[in-house]
Amino acid sequence: MADRSESDRLQKESRFKQLIRRPEMGAFVVMVVIIISLLIASDSKAFNALGLKNNIKIIAQYGIIATGAAMLMIAGEFDLSIGSMIGFAGMSMALMLKWGLPFGLGEATPFLAFIITLAMTLTIGWVIGTIVVRSGLSSFIVTLAFLFFLRGTTEVAFRLINQSTQVSGLPDYKETSWFANLLGGEVFGWFYDLWFKIGQWMTAGTEFPARLPVETINYLALLNINRRLDQWVTGFDARFLWWIVISIAAWFVLSRTQLGNWIYATGDDKEAARANGVPVNRVKVGLFMFTAFCATMFAACQVFDTNTSDAAKGNLMELFAIAIAVVGGTLMTGGFGSVVGVVFGAVTVGLVANAVFFIPAIDGAWFRVFLGAILLAAVFANERIRKRITGGI
Amino acid sequence: MADPYLRVENLVKQFGPFTALGGVDLAVYPGEVHALLGDNGAGKSTLIKTLAGVHQPTSGQIYIEGKPVSFRSPRDASAAGIGTVYQDLALNQLMSITRNFFMGRELKGPLGTLRMDEMNQIAHDEMLKIGIDFSDPTQAVGTMSGGQRQTLAIARAIYFGAKVLILDEPTSALGQKQQMGVLKTVKRVKARGDIAIIFITHNEIHSRLIGDRYTFLALGKVIGAGTSDQIGPEEMRRLMAGGAEMGDLEKELANV
Repeated sequence: MADRSESDRLQKESRFKQLIRRPEMGAFVVMVVIIISLLIASDSKAFNALGLKNNIKIIAQYGIIATGAAMLMIAGEFDLSIGSMIGFAGMSMALMLKWGLPFGLGEATPFLAFIITLAMTLTIGWVIGTIVVRSGLSSFIVTLAFLFFLRGTTEVAFRLINQSTQVSGLPDYKETSWFANLLGGEVFGWFYDLWFKIGQWMTAGTEFPARLPVETINYLALLNINRRLDQWVTGFDARFLWWIVISIAAWFVLSRTQLGNWIYATGDDKEAARANGVPVNRVKVGLFMFTAFCATMFAACQVFDTNTSDAAKGNLMELFAIAIAVVGGTLMTGGFGSVVGVVFGAVTVGLVANAVFFIPAIDGAWFRVFLGAILLAAVFANERIRKRITGGI
Repeated sequence: MADPYLRVENLVKQFGPFTALGGVDLAVYPGEVHALLGDNGAGKSTLIKTLAGVHQPTSGQIYIEGKPVSFRSPRDASAAGIGTVYQDLALNQLMSITRNFFMGRELKGPLGTLRMDEMNQIAHDEMLKIGIDFSDPTQAVGTMSGGQRQTLAIARAIYFGAKVLILDEPTSALGQKQQMGVLKTVKRVKARGDIAIIFITHNEIHSRLIGDRYTFLALGKVIGAGTSDQIGPEEMRRLMAGGAEMGDLEKELANV
C-alpha cells in the first residue's frame, strides 16, 4: 500500500513494554514504594487490622473527590469549589437533621436530608458549569469565586440557624436508618471476620495445624491477625464501598462508553469535538455536576459516620483532589488521564497523609513536603507522556 | 454530462458593509474534482463555509440534486451530504484513530457502550479503501504524519455519507511526498465515481494534476471557470494571479 512504510515506522512493542509505558505506571511504582516503606517504617502497624481500616478511610475520602476532579480535568476544566462544596453539603445535611426541613416542613430523615442537599449541590454544579461554558471564562476563576461563595454561605448559614459553626451530638442515625448506615456505617465485615478467623486458626492451640514458629506468630500478632476473640475492628467505613462504586462507574464510562469518548474529545480539542457533533457544553456542565456529586458523597459519608459537621469541613480538599488526579497521570491540559491512575494516586497520597499516625517520630508537615515534590515530579512525567503521544519526543 | 450534485446560483454573502461573496455560481459533479482557486481574501473560505452551513447566504440559492436547500447549521449541511475537511482537520491528537474516526458518531451497544471491535474494523477498512493500511487503529493520531491525518479525515467524511467532499487546502503545510500522498487519496476517492470533490488550493501544479474543472475567485467574484481542456496553463496562471497578466506583475516587481 502507498503509505504502508510510513505507518510501519511506529514500532510494535512487546506487551511488557506497552505495560511499563502506560500512563498509570509512574503512579503505580510510587504507590508500591510508599506501601513498602510504610510497612517497614511503621513496623507493619500501618497495615494491621485497625491501621488498614484507618488508611482506607482517608484513601477512600480522597479517592471519591479525586475521581470527580480527574474526570473534569480530562474534559479540560478545573473545579476549585470541591472543598467548599463538601462544607456546604455537610452543613446542609447537619442543619436539616438538627433543625428540621426548611420552611417548617417537619422533621428531616437522613434520606430526605441527603436528597435535598444533593439537589442543591447538583444545581450549584450546574450553575458553575453553565457560567463556565456560556461565558467562556476560565473555570479556575469561576470556581475560585464559588470556593469563597460557598464557604462563606456555609458559615453564615451555620451562625444564622445554629448560632454556632458546628453541629454535634446528633443522634446516631446509623442505628435507626438503613440509609444512614449505607453512607456512614460499615462494609465488608466478612473481610475482618476472615482475617481474624485465619489468625485464630494459625496461632491458637497446639493441635492441627502445627503451631507456627514463634517469630511468625509475633509478626502475625503485629497484624492483629489472631484477635478473633476480642475483635474490635468489624469492617471498613462505608465510604470504601462508595469509592469502589464511583471508581468502577467512572472507569466504565470513560473507557467503554460513548460519553467517555466525548469527555476525552472535549478535553483534547473542544473545537474539533464540536465540529464532529460532540455536545461539548453539555459534557462539561455534566462533569461539574459530577464533581458536586462526589463532594456531596464525601460530606454525606462524613456526616453519617461521625454525626457531626462544622463550617471548616473539606477545607483544602479541592487542591488535594487535583493533586491526586495529577499524580495519577491526568494531564493539566485535558484530554488524557485514567481512573486506574487516580486510584493509585489516592492510595499513595492517602497513605502518606496518614503516615504520621503510625510513625509518631515524624513531623506531620512532611506530608505536604512529600505531596509538593511528588506533584512536581508527576507534572513533568505527564508532560513527557503528552509529548510522546503528540510526537514531541 | 450528468447533473451536478451541488449547484450554487448567484450566491451573495455580506458581513455588515463588507461583501465577501458578490454573486458566485458553481456546479460540482459526482466523480469530478472541482478545483477552487484564488488568492488570499478571494472569498474561498467564505464560500465553503456557506456551503458547509457555517454561514447563511445573504442572497442566492444552493441546490442539491436540483432541489433548493438552505442550511441553518453545519449539521444540516452534513445531513445533506456535504462533508467538509477543514485545514485543522478536526482531529484530536491524544485520541486513537478509531476514537477520532467515530468522534461524536460512535457506534453504541446497550448502556451507551462502544462497539470497539467493530469500530476498529470499520476505521481500518475505510482507511484502507483510500490508501492507508493501519495495523493498529488504537494508535494515537498525534503519532501520524500530516498526510495520514488528512486521509483519516477524508475517510471519516466519506464513511459518514459525504456526497460532496470539500477539502480546504489539503496539501498546504505538507512536505512534497506527503502532498503526493494526499493527491493519490483524492484520486482514489474520485475513482469511486459517486462523490463530488471541491478541492481548494493555492497550488497550480496540484490543481493541474487532479482537477477536472476549475473555478477562479478574486475579490468575491468568479473571474473564470471551465474544464481542464478549456483552460490552458497560461490562462490558469493569469487567473490565479487574480486576473493580472504575469507580464504586468513582472513589470511591477521590476519597478519596486
